[in-house]
Amino acid sequence: MLVVAVVLAGMVWSRLAYWQVAQHGRLTLQAQAQYREFVPLPAVRGALFDRNLKQLVVNTTVYSAFVSPDQVAPGDRDRVASGLASVLGVDKTAVMKTLQSNSKFAYISRRFSKTKADQLRPLKLPGVGLQDETQRSYLPGIAQGTTLAANLLGFVNWNGDGRYGLEEKYQVALAGTPGYISSYRDLANREIVLGTHTHQDPVNGSDLVLTLDANIQYAAEQALADGVKRDNAESGSVLIMDPATGGIVAWADYPSYNANDFNHTDAALFKDNVVSYVYEPGSVMKIVTLSGAINAGAIAPDTVINDPGVLSVGGYRIYDWDRRNHGNVDYTYVLAHSLNVGAMKAMLTEGHSAFYNNLQAFGFTQPSGIDVAGENCLLPPKADQMSDSQYATTSFGQGIDVNMVQMLAAANVIANGGKYAPPHLVERVGTHVNPLLLQPQRQAISPETAAKMTAMMQQVVQHGSGWTSRIKGFELDQAGKTGTSQIPVNGQYTQDVWASFVGFLPAQHPRFTMLVVIRKPHYPGSDRDWTLNDGYMTAEPIWKTIAQTMVVDWHITPDSQ
Amino acid sequence: MTSTRILARRRLGATGAAPHVTAPPRRRRRTRGFVQVAGSVAAERLRLNVFGHAYVGLGAVVIALLFYLAIAAQITQASYDMTRLQDQQRQLIAEQDQLRYQEVTLHAPAQVQQQATQSGMQRVAPSSYVAGQEVAIDLSTPVGASPADTTPLWLRAVAAVVNTVGGTQTVMASTKK
Repeated sequence: MLVVAVVLAGMVWSRLAYWQVAQHGRLTLQAQAQYREFVPLPAVRGALFDRNLKQLVVNTTVYSAFVSPDQVAPGDRDRVASGLASVLGVDKTAVMKTLQSNSKFAYISRRFSKTKADQLRPLKLPGVGLQDETQRSYLPGIAQGTTLAANLLGFVNWNGDGRYGLEEKYQVALAGTPGYISSYRDLANREIVLGTHTHQDPVNGSDLVLTLDANIQYAAEQALADGVKRDNAESGSVLIMDPATGGIVAWADYPSYNANDFNHTDAALFKDNVVSYVYEPGSVMKIVTLSGAINAGAIAPDTVINDPGVLSVGGYRIYDWDRRNHGNVDYTYVLAHSLNVGAMKAMLTEGHSAFYNNLQAFGFTQPSGIDVAGENCLLPPKADQMSDSQYATTSFGQGIDVNMVQMLAAANVIANGGKYAPPHLVERVGTHVNPLLLQPQRQAISPETAAKMTAMMQQVVQHGSGWTSRIKGFELDQAGKTGTSQIPVNGQYTQDVWASFVGFLPAQHPRFTMLVVIRKPHYPGSDRDWTLNDGYMTAEPIWKTIAQTMVVDWHITPDSQ
Repeated sequence: MTSTRILARRRLGATGAAPHVTAPPRRRRRTRGFVQVAGSVAAERLRLNVFGHAYVGLGAVVIALLFYLAIAAQITQASYDMTRLQDQQRQLIAEQDQLRYQEVTLHAPAQVQQQATQSGMQRVAPSSYVAGQEVAIDLSTPVGASPADTTPLWLRAVAAVVNTVGGTQTVMASTKK
């Protein structure tokens, strides 16, 4: 008898222990769910402003309509379905089907405007509710169905998470910290005021002030779109930088998308080609090669070399673009006429080691570190792992992969008196200045070398391949360099090219440095003369159009006046 | 030397501690409060019995109940008002957001351009000119002699073999102008 009692008591105790110890946490949560109410207080996401404090994105309220079918009487179903269909434009049959399902909850339409919500509210449809949500609304872009700087800014998904671009990179700063109200409720769901009541205010996200100029951004997008369409190109990008600070003034991609309607957008368009697309820069790289060689004292702009039009390096015969013998030319001529042999000879005179150090100084051996999500780069191999032919091709911009930010930052070294200005987009986070701006800039090459290279680049515009970029009034104050490189596919170079042009203005006191890259252009008539796809025919006119706008908008005057 | 004991004695008096004289107990005045007086007077006049007390108690309870109901009604009304005002506030915020977006959009470059175009305005390119100057390079200089490939024969042979085996080895004129 005693044993039975002990066993029974043991069973009861063990069951009690099970509920009170093992299941304590779960039961506590279940109990709290009945009497404790937790109301999240969302933080307001920070806004984005351009350099002139023009707001680029606004938080707006949108509405979602839901229905509780079990609360809609069968007699009301038709009225409810008709009301929803007429205001929200949804399919009445589908709504009727939902209402007949007898489920507890179903969304009818998500994220529609306040206007529709205002039309729906007075109908007082039984079982229908409105839920307000916050949405990021971006400024309109150049064409219907696009938004300004969409690829750069990214967007915020329905969970409130920033995706792509700045929205993703600065998610923590922009999102802030949500608050909450935690209190007790009685059976009738009334708050028990005397009970424990915790209130934590939300901390709103910080506003970001960008280095971007909305007007220039718009002009860049417009010129780029026109150019890409004219050139029958696959895509194109424009990047403009403030030479002194490294702040990005414009960042345009074409094709782009509508960030206000991201959920109906092809995900491939979200990719930001400026920072995530690597390409072989072509002859634009010659300004880096020649700058390094001049800086090392290996050559001077007026050093004369013989260019027979071909050079054998590491068992490879590498030609100039025109396969012509140019005879005795100086390095200014080499740059103006973009001669590969000259670039290779400069590299060989300087030496592999110094050339590689030069690549490091110009920032090609590491990511640019720009404050935008999704930077992609393909770094060159270590100095001792590069073959002779690779050194040779790298000297004129093939066999090396860069992204546009890296290339522009490198070219900007010339415009910035030899200093490497770290590229960045955010000037201020809330009231804090971007610490990058307070750091001293690295001297990549001497100011004298930068001045010499500037003069050489001016010659490119005045007498070389940069002639189509000349801006009226700035013919003598413009520095630039074209680049056209064939696109390799499966280890073989194809006839498709990346065409680019980099330049700054005015040459002696630059106000901006701009890089334009056009991918796979097919300029009208290029089927007969494929040289029409070159940078001077495709990228340069775009550069010129944008630069003209900047001259007017920023009141830029020539140096020589 | 002055010890602490001496100091204590001095403090109490030169002749030592004075005998403790107990004060005569104060006579406590017995007074009756107004409430007590009024209560007893009322009781005397009303001459309430047990039922009377019960009625008074019940009345007090009813008054308290009514008071509670009034307060509860007020609280309920206030909560309704709060809910209504919160809803109104949300709607006003939504409207403000929308107006803010409209305001920002009005200043957007796209809108500005559209309005400018409608008004017949257009961008003009800078019209000032800078006089040309002599350049360092003489472009009229004839180019050099025909290509003279100085590559050794043996290297050409090696390149030809490698080209045949490994595919195209020639880097094309890939960086045209």
